[in-house]
This record gives sequence, structure tokens and C-alpha cells, in this order.
Amino acid sequence: MTVQETSTNSGAVRRFERAADWAIYALFIAIVLGLPLVVDDVFWLNRIAKYLVFGMLGIAIALSWGYAGILNLGQGLFFGLGAYMTAMSLKLMSATSLQQGSDKPVPDFMLWNAEPGAVTDLCCINKGSFLWIPFQAQWFGLAMAIVVPLIVAFILSSSIFRLRVSGVYVAIITLALVLLVRLLIIDAQPITNGFNGLTDLGWLTISGFEFDPYMVETYYVVAGSLSVVLLLGRWLVSTRAGLILQSTRDDPTRARYLGYDVAAYQIFFFTISAGIAGFAGLLYVVAAEFASPSFMDIGFSISMVVWAAVGGRNSLIGACIGAILINTVEATASETEIFKEAWKLIIGGVFIFVVLYMPNGLAGIARDLVARIQRKRVDEGTQTATAAANRRQA
Amino acid sequence: MTAALTIDGLTVDFGGFKAVDGFTTVVNEGELRVILGPNGAGKTTLMDLISGKTASTAGDVHLFGENITNRPEHIISRHGVGRKFQIPSVFRDLTVRQNLEVAASGDPGVFRNLRLHMAGEDRARVEDVIELTRLGPVLGTIAGELSHGQMQWLELGMLITQQAKVILLDEPTAGMTGAETFRTAEIINEMKGSHTILVVEHDMAFVREIAERITVMHMGKLLAEGPMERIETDPKVREAYLGSGGIH
Ligand SMILES: Nc1ncnc2c1ncn2[C@@H]1O[C@H](COP(=O)(O)OP(=O)(O)OP(=O)(O)O)[C@@H](O)[C@H]1O
Ligand SMILES: [Mg+2]
Repeated sequence: MTVQETSTNSGAVRRFERAADWAIYALFIAIVLGLPLVVDDVFWLNRIAKYLVFGMLGIAIALSWGYAGILNLGQGLFFGLGAYMTAMSLKLMSATSLQQGSDKPVPDFMLWNAEPGAVTDLCCINKGSFLWIPFQAQWFGLAMAIVVPLIVAFILSSSIFRLRVSGVYVAIITLALVLLVRLLIIDAQPITNGFNGLTDLGWLTISGFEFDPYMVETYYVVAGSLSVVLLLGRWLVSTRAGLILQSTRDDPTRARYLGYDVAAYQIFFFTISAGIAGFAGLLYVVAAEFASPSFMDIGFSISMVVWAAVGGRNSLIGACIGAILINTVEATASETEIFKEAWKLIIGGVFIFVVLYMPNGLAGIARDLVARIQRKRVDEGTQTATAAANRRQA
Repeated sequence: MTAALTIDGLTVDFGGFKAVDGFTTVVNEGELRVILGPNGAGKTTLMDLISGKTASTAGDVHLFGENITNRPEHIISRHGVGRKFQIPSVFRDLTVRQNLEVAASGDPGVFRNLRLHMAGEDRARVEDVIELTRLGPVLGTIAGELSHGQMQWLELGMLITQQAKVILLDEPTAGMTGAETFRTAEIINEMKGSHTILVVEHDMAFVREIAERITVMHMGKLLAEGPMERIETDPKVREAYLGSGGIH
């Protein structure tokens, strides 16, 4: 085969792979957005909305772990921050917060924790309760749900990546941090309601429309957000910056010697990943109506990594689908008592199997399949071309 | 003639042991300089010091008159220093084309690279380098699966794509077959003139193929400098190489 031929073939292969890739994205988004046409049980839609949120977490993990090579074992920190920021605003919008004997909203648990004789007002009912004052505006809580994770991630990643901390040390630091923040939240009982978290929330309200979690509109908010994040993420990793990021993952020294400030790339993508997790936290609260310190349990952050590994950490959509699938299977399986017990064991086994034998997860299998189909097509194409040439010669 | 690289009294002290010790030399623009020296002479360490991998403890390095001593690697690189490592260093999980595209860094900032396509001149440069290195047939191959020779050429190609003004090559033919070595000499000869090149090499046949001026290092110091004929007959050089079997 001549050089010319090989490169045209590889061009055709690339075009086919790209087309297959877009087809999968389009199909996924169509299914996610079209689901309410098939499922009319709002309880199921609400459930699936939560799994879609987990799918968004899968995207966040794939972005940092798969594309940047940064294993963040504390992604729950950013999810939790996003959730708490949102829940603070929604808490102040709930009916009970308006019935605490003040003309301005005050969360019920603050009264339970207040010193006798304290004024029922966010300004001074508890030490630190003033922090809640700006959350009376819903937009503030929603904005903070993304801004706070971005800021925390930026500060954290600036310090670790400028010091060239990498690999398992990043995992340990992020893990320690999520534990620390979880303790702080539990400890700050008077303003966070500690272990119990924030419950009894109001509904997200946009220009007068109230998003009841058990309403198809709320499902569309989540599904639409997921689609947008997925496409934006896809765009991000396709840019030159996304390619350079992958190069810093493969060989940071080489990337530095090509003039790239490796830390700047790591900080940027780590921070974006945290912002996505924060947004997921926001949506989760809208759909699930609570925020809890359990969002910052180590087990939850590790689960996210498992979802991404199973779906394929090198693929945004793979990790996203992995998260949705595992959670759907888990929910279905948990309905039987035996499975509920065995589930942790099963998922642990699946994780080990994937890490050992399927490093690219489900997305890797799909990719191999596409490659095989394409090779067959090219072979057939070459055969026809050769046959035609032979006929011409004859 | 313009001085491309000026090294003045460069020293690194590893807790009492000076791997490079008061080393001084000037490499002119467009020159190809070969650095010879027995094992452990400090050749790789010298390249580490120039490129910012290791911080020097005394002396300084100027690149086209600008002081680049002990700056971070990526800044030195942006000033125009490119480096090939003793062990080939490419992005092993990316395709050959992607490797070259990463090297075509018109602008290295994160935000400037939030776009899907390369600038036209960067793309043209990538195509030129593909031609020069003859990597055309393997553009879609994952770099980690290349043959040893191809990997070395890819790394050379990346340095050209990067538009490095001064290129440091650490044993570019180590582990290559005769034919591969010959091809590498061809590539380096083509790079001559448009780049200033500093090569560390042990293979004397290869050195004869490419060398103009030679600098001999011994125990971190400059031992001799001059054209090939003079170096080969220099008694000091013969003596330094005695222990390691002489220049072969
Ligand atoms: N970071 C370091 N700390 C201590 N000693 C070092 C360090 N780096 C290099 N050395 C020592 O400096 C000396 C010079 O090493 P260098 O690798 O520069 O030699 P070289 O000329 O490249 O040799 P070779 O031809 O074997 O590649 C060696 O004795 C080495 O052990
Ligand atoms: Mg060496």
C-alpha cells in the first residue's frame, strides 16, 4: 500500500469515528430529552433526574481524571458546596422559614439552636447566621453554587499544582479536604443544622414559575442542563487547550519543554471540573429537596470515581452513561433485600474487573466496536477498488 | 556572527560534588556543536542546567543576549530552547499528528488555546515537518506504538515544529540501527543553519557525519574545543578517554 493510500484511509477512519461519536452524543441527548414522552410516572422521572445529575458528576470526573490525569477523590466537596449554597436559598423560601415569628425568613433549626432571648432575625439569631442574609435572594444561592466551588477549586489547585504535587498525593489531599469540610459543616450545627442537613426546602422559582420536583418541567431543567454541560465539555476537550491538557497528562516534562505552563492547564481544568460538580449539586437539591453532609462522605466521592471508571474515564459521555447506568441498576436491585446487601460487593468486583481488564470502560468497548465496523468497511472498499482496477486492466 | 548561546562559568554543586564546574563556551547562531566526553562527564547535567531542569549554583546562561539562568522550564522554552531527551520523550497516548499539533504552540496560554483549530502558519509548519521526518504513513498511530527510531524522529520533529532557536540533543542516535542513524544524520543536517544545535553524542561515525566544532567535557569542565581533526589528536583528550577506551 502506498503512503498516499494509507493516509487517505486514516482520514476516512477519523471522519467515520467522528461521525460515530457525534451520533452517540445526539442519540444520548435525544433519549434523555425525549424520555418524558415514554415515561409518564413523575416519581420515576424525578428518580431519573437524580441519576442524570450523577451523570453530570461522571463528566466532571472524566474531565479531571481521564483528560487531565488528576484523580480527585474529593469531588463530593464541590458537589456538596453547590448543594448547600442552593439549599440555603431554597430553605429561606420554604413556608416554615416564614412562620418563625419574624417578618423575614429564618430557618426553623436556627431557632432550636438559638440562645434564649436571641432576636429572631438572620442578623443575630446565632453566631454566624448573618452569613445567610444574602441567600434571601435565590439568584445569589444559585450563583454561589457554582462560584464557591470554582473559587475553592482555584485556590486548592493553584497551591497543589504550582508545587507540582501529582498522582496519589493529589488524591490524598482532596480526600482529606472533603473530610475536613464535612466535619466543619457538621460542627457548625447552629447555621448548617449539622448531621441533619438542610431539609424542608422551598421550590426553585424562576420568574414566578415554581419547579415542583415531581413535575416534568423540573426533569427538563435537569436533562437540558446535562445536555448543555455535556456539549460544552465535549467542545472543551476538542479545543487545542484540551489536547494540550492531555499532553500534560502523558508527559508533563515534555509539555513544559514545549513552552506550556503545565500548572496553568491543570488549574484551569480542575477548576472547571469543580464548577460542573457544583452545578450538579445545585440541580440535585432542586430535584431531591435536601442537602446533607453525606454528600461529602468519602464513600460518595469514591462511588463517582467507580461510575466514571466503569463508563470509561477517557470519555465524557462514557463516564456520564456509566454513572446513570450504575445508579439505575442499583436502584432497581435495591428493591430486593438480598441484592441490597450484595450490591456493594458486586460493584466493588465490577470496579476491580474494569480497572484490571477494561481500562477504557464501556466507552472503550464501544470504540473498539466502531473501529472494527470501520475496518471492515475500509477493507470492503479497498477490495471493490482493487477489483475495479483489475477489471480495467483486463 | 551573533552568539546564540553564551554559557559563562556555569556550575552546579550537588552537595560538594560539582557535576558541571565553571563551564564556559559560546555557541554561534546557526552553529552545530558536538559535545563529547566520557560517561559521567556532566554532559546531560549541562543540558539540564541550560534548559532549567536543574538550578545552577553559579555562573549564567544567556540566549541571544537575554539572561535565562534558572528560569522555569516553560519560560526558557518560550525564549527558544528546545530539548531532546536521552530517553525519547513524546506524548505516548496521543497520535503522531497530535504530538506535532501540541508542539505547534503559536501561543502557549490556556485561554488563547480555547479554540478548535490551529493558526494557518502552525498547520503549515506541521505539514513541513511531517515531510522532513517522513512520518506521513504513521500520523494516526499512537506514539507509544512507534519503533524506537520513529519515536526519536517524532521528538526531533516536535522540536522543529516548536520553532526552537537553540536545540539541545542528548544522544539522538542511542539504540538506533545503522540505517536509522543515517536517517537521523540526514534530518540533523537539514536542521543545520536554520537552528543552532548542541548535540551530545558517543557514536563517532555519526559525529564525523554532522560535526563542525567539538567541545570536550571532562569531570564537569571544558577540556578542549575546536574542529574534529584537532580534537582527535589532542593529547589531553586522549588521556581523558584512556579510562573509557578512547574515542571510538
Ligand atoms: N541530581 C544529581 N545529584 C547528584 N549527582 C548527580 C545528579 N545528576 C547527575 N549527577 C552526577 O553528575 C555526574 C554527571 O552526570 P551526567 O548524567 O551529566 O553525565 P553524562 O556526561 O551525561 O554521562 P553519560 O555519557 O553517561 O550520559 C554523574 O556522576 C552523576 O552521577
Ligand atoms: Mg548523559
